[in-house]
Amino acid sequence: MTTTAAATGRLQPFNVGVARRRRIAIALLVGPALLVVGGALVVPAANLLVQSFIESSGYGQVTYHFTFSNYTDVLQDPTYRRIAWHSFGLGALAALICVVAGYPAAYFITFRLRRARNIALFLVVVSLFTSYLVRLYAWYTILGTQGIINTGLVRLGVVEHPLLFLIFSRTAVVIAFVNVFLPYSILMLTSSMQNIRADLLENARDLGAGPVRTFSRVVLPLSMTGAIGAFAYTFILTSGDYITPSLLGGTSSTSLASIVSDEFLALGNRPSGAAISFVMLTIFFAVYLGLTRLERWKGI
Amino acid sequence: MARRLRASALLVYTILVFVFLFAPIALVVLFSFNKTASLTFPFHGFSLRWYRAVLESPSYRDAIFASLRVAVISVVVVVVVGTAAGIGVTRYAFRGSRIVRVFLFFPAALPGLFVGIALLSFFVQTQVSLSLWTVTAGHLIYVLPYFFLVVTSRLQRFDYMLEEAARDLGAGPWATFRRVTLPLIAPSLIAGALVVFSLSWDEVFITFFTIGAQNTLPLVIYSTVKQSVDPSVNAISTLLLAGSLVFVFSVRRLAADLQQ
Repeated sequence: MTTTAAATGRLQPFNVGVARRRRIAIALLVGPALLVVGGALVVPAANLLVQSFIESSGYGQVTYHFTFSNYTDVLQDPTYRRIAWHSFGLGALAALICVVAGYPAAYFITFRLRRARNIALFLVVVSLFTSYLVRLYAWYTILGTQGIINTGLVRLGVVEHPLLFLIFSRTAVVIAFVNVFLPYSILMLTSSMQNIRADLLENARDLGAGPVRTFSRVVLPLSMTGAIGAFAYTFILTSGDYITPSLLGGTSSTSLASIVSDEFLALGNRPSGAAISFVMLTIFFAVYLGLTRLERWKGI
Repeated sequence: MARRLRASALLVYTILVFVFLFAPIALVVLFSFNKTASLTFPFHGFSLRWYRAVLESPSYRDAIFASLRVAVISVVVVVVVGTAAGIGVTRYAFRGSRIVRVFLFFPAALPGLFVGIALLSFFVQTQVSLSLWTVTAGHLIYVLPYFFLVVTSRLQRFDYMLEEAARDLGAGPWATFRRVTLPLIAPSLIAGALVVFSLSWDEVFITFFTIGAQNTLPLVIYSTVKQSVDPSVNAISTLLLAGSLVFVFSVRRLAADLQQ
């Protein structure tokens, strides 16, 4: 008894010292990163949340009066609703095309390539990193009235005048979206297909399943995680995009994001812009959660 | 027979996908060397006139330096702060270390629009005038999660017993870090730094809202294209492209780290 007491008596101050030094070390190591995220994201986001509940009073002015009206106005405004559906529609279409178009390529890269697989994946990663804006600009010149497609068609005599609907249209926006986000789909699909053992496909074939059946009963269910991830990711990033619609969409496709930026920059109505941002963010998270739940619910 | 046909159909399809992904960029690079102002075939021959135009234009030159400055500052800050945090959460399994990890990854899940709007509204209210510093603040938030991911996946495999051995041999904490830990994790830090550079160099979404009077390279391209078609945009785009591909030099290291 006495010896243990003496021992702990001697050890305790030492342990306390070690524990305190440990705590200080942790704080010094982790603290700066927490400060960066806290200062440059959490505080501004909390501020934005507060803004969405106060009243706007003229350009850039606010009155600190608690109100829900920013949210009710946004949710009831038919123009906003129309533009929101438009943005979500474009995003869903682009996401669907990316997943569907990505499947055959991902399948080929995973199951048919051996030595070239890493090179193919490397190329996909490179295209994912190549400047977003340069790719938009590329489509801008390709689809433009003086672009390759139009001058080609005119020279070949297919059309007399350049096709004006190629650029500044929803088509142009979707083409650019697919170009930018297809690499993400391919990567996510290949990484989920990598867990499918190749002998599983052989078994299916041996049991008499044709290629369509093998795909729909084996490959598709087992790579669903990648497909859903790719769809959700593309949907969220494209329907929240404003750079692509503003460069390639012309007046035909006002985006949800451009409304937010207009509220802030052109109209100076911060509360309304803040409310739209949070509604948008909520919808994105709901879609993401819904899709991941759907996957679990299906028991895949 | 049918099987072989399907296999070659898949091959052709995959090649077409890669053509779709790379052809637009290839065209921009090609026409940046065009002799004439035309943006379409026939190609009239090589010249460097558009690159000369870019380097002689003060607004393009300033934008290049602005982008470099923002990217380099982001890299330095994120490497220091992110490495420290990575060591903190992997060396000590403290209470809340999981929450810290999630908290530091979380910004990557937010759309750039939201981060940009939150920062803009905050800066306007606190009367911080928009400049390259406000742009840098946005970039830090954007790139920190990626760097943190790279560095923690490396440190997960790091044997902290090596540090203890060094300490037992009498090395102080700083000497231990500089002589033991740093040399071992340096390749991953460099790989992460290159990724951070690429991401920052190319960022438009957050920059769009936090930018002051001085444009960065992507934004100068954006505003030029919005106004008119200027063939020197091909040349400046090619420069932007070159910078955004800096990360390529780190691909092997990254693949090795992230696969663990």
